[in-house]
Amino acid sequence: MTHPKETWWVALIEVGVIINLVMVAFAYTTWLERKVLGRMQRRFGPNRAGPFGLLQPIADLVKLIRKESFFPASAHEIPYILAPILSTFTALAAFAVIPWGKGWTVHGYYIPGVVSNLPISLILIFALGSIGIYGYIVGGWASDSKYAILGSMRTCAQLVSYEVSLALSVLGVVLMGQSLNLVDIVDKQQTTVWFFIPQFVGLCVFLLGGIAETSRPPFDLPEADTELVAGYHTEYSGMRWGLFQMAEYINMIVLSSLAVTLFFGGWHFPWVPSLDKFGPIWFCLKLAILVNAFIWLRASQPRLRYDQLMRFGWKILLPAATINALVTALLVVWVK
Amino acid sequence: MFDDWLPFAIYGLFSLVIPATMIGASFALATRPKRVVKARTIPFESGVSTGPPVKQRFTVSFYLTAMLFVLFDIEIVFLYPLAVILHELAWFGFLEFLVFILILLVAYVYIWRKGALEWR
Repeated sequence: MTHPKETWWVALIEVGVIINLVMVAFAYTTWLERKVLGRMQRRFGPNRAGPFGLLQPIADLVKLIRKESFFPASAHEIPYILAPILSTFTALAAFAVIPWGKGWTVHGYYIPGVVSNLPISLILIFALGSIGIYGYIVGGWASDSKYAILGSMRTCAQLVSYEVSLALSVLGVVLMGQSLNLVDIVDKQQTTVWFFIPQFVGLCVFLLGGIAETSRPPFDLPEADTELVAGYHTEYSGMRWGLFQMAEYINMIVLSSLAVTLFFGGWHFPWVPSLDKFGPIWFCLKLAILVNAFIWLRASQPRLRYDQLMRFGWKILLPAATINALVTALLVVWVK
Repeated sequence: MFDDWLPFAIYGLFSLVIPATMIGASFALATRPKRVVKARTIPFESGVSTGPPVKQRFTVSFYLTAMLFVLFDIEIVFLYPLAVILHELAWFGFLEFLVFILILLVAYVYIWRKGALEWR
């Protein structure tokens, strides 16, 4: 894991560019979701603001910022305001360790293909995801409303249950990649085979657990509007509500990028090594396909019941992930 | 070591400042209501709201789920380091892995038979 030294101002510029790109990706994921959902239901989706409704995310932002920042009289003010900031912070920060390119040398300055190349990047992503749960539970508790508290308890129970399967499903990849560093795992896939072939069960568990972890339909029980009004953000409005939505979408983007990194060879192009220098393009393409699959699921699947959800997580996904890890371990030792 | 973490620290700072700025902007730019009536500020409920909810007990299922989470998350914490060096430990490592999973399996079967995995 030796790499040329990175100058601090190169890191600063890179961080600035990447975090803005993540924000743009988030804004246009909301646009894409509304557009695709609309088309799947034989509607047009947003089409007034700009060509094809492309300015819609900007209009949304202006509307949310201008909206009255209302909060209930009984709310605990400081945690109520800090909760959405915490959720968004953990969602955004997790993207820092995702590799999106090979790294380039421009005029003698080395620009790495990942914001921060850490030896424990995989654990860091899961840790940040766990801290993000605090945002939901604190937000729900601080609003001091029946639906918000119920919603936050449900969210917490669901996220905590699926996190176990999610973390276990990746164990097979760690066994094959022999590292917790995402850059190493991507390089390993280039020299052997993309891990979605040997780790197909792992991929299925990872995606199912991931949908539940980002509370996307059909596992969107935290926001089951027929039962809970809006779940933990019932009492939120304006930009604070917007930040919770932002955290949810960015979590989806981070999770899709993690799936691309762990199972689909990251920024590599299959078979043709000379095309690897366009790494970010292939990364974005794979990411877009996965995000579209998430949206497609939302358009086509009905929501589960809460007991079905818990049973599915604990009785099917968890054993499947454990057996997958065990078989992978056996094969790793055997082949060696 | 420190050089690896510096970009992450910068990135973390940025990702903290962005949502804080957005909240700040919404304080500065938001429209204010002309007058605040009491009905606006009581928590939402489907019918007539009587104010904040009375502190009540939660179903034990939530606590049970939390305890199960701790149990299995510890499992994962132990397995990650093992997974990284398993190819060096070879069969010894695999046997240890197997013993660990078997002990866990006993607990898992017990939990299952007790019905703790069913949501009630």
